[in-house]
Amino acid sequence: MNRRNFIGFGVLAMATLPATLSALSSIDFRKEKPDVWTAHTVDDAIKAMYGDIKPAESGVTVKAPKVASNGGAIPVTVKSDIPAKTVALFQDANPEATVCVYNCDKDSIIDYFCKIKMKKSGTIIAILEGQDGKFYKGSISLEVALGGCEG
Amino acid sequence: MGNMKIKAKEKNGIVKVKVMAKHDMLTYDQAKKKGKEANFITHITAKVEDRVVYDVSTSQFWSKNPMWKFKFRGNDKGKKLTITWTDLSGKSVTESKKIK
Repeated sequence: MNRRNFIGFGVLAMATLPATLSALSSIDFRKEKPDVWTAHTVDDAIKAMYGDIKPAESGVTVKAPKVASNGGAIPVTVKSDIPAKTVALFQDANPEATVCVYNCDKDSIIDYFCKIKMKKSGTIIAILEGQDGKFYKGSISLEVALGGCEG
Repeated sequence: MGNMKIKAKEKNGIVKVKVMAKHDMLTYDQAKKKGKEANFITHITAKVEDRVVYDVSTSQFWSKNPMWKFKFRGNDKGKKLTITWTDLSGKSVTESKKIK
């Protein structure tokens, strides 16, 4: 563990201490599973997040433009009808693989939209951890015309 | 104040939310080039009263001034939706909006 991470944890630990008692609790996966965020490949990140899993290649849809003109803000939508515990988003174009991890409950509708950065063309992968304990996977490959990590 | 633009609307028991926040979202690479510390939003939580309705841990790969949308089930018209984000530096911003 390096120094930067260590300081980050302390701060996040304080921020998330007042946990709520609702069905959907606030979980900070950066604190819970720090290895996920430093993993360089999608496989390593998935392993750090969920362990050795074999997700079904169905049930999850990832939407993004085929060709992204601006790699700094690629609109991505993750959709699924499967009741989920967590949904994690990865990509293989940037130095680290993990984009974000959503925490879900029965009232969550898996229809998340966000804009992400990608350095070059690559694949966006979504892994859904179902309430049934099974894993599902969706992915999309896209071309990035202008990389978004150069700043 | 005024960091986030929040839109929340309830229809047929489903609340749709759209949020835009102001944040540089500096990745480690970008920060190195600019000679600054990397800083990005690491966690976002949305609540209706005390109920958490959206919870996400994020990385530096969300875009600058990120915008995000989500939906959840609930007859929450007129209630207050509160969104909080925390970044790597520990800064935290909370804003709320009534669900239409």
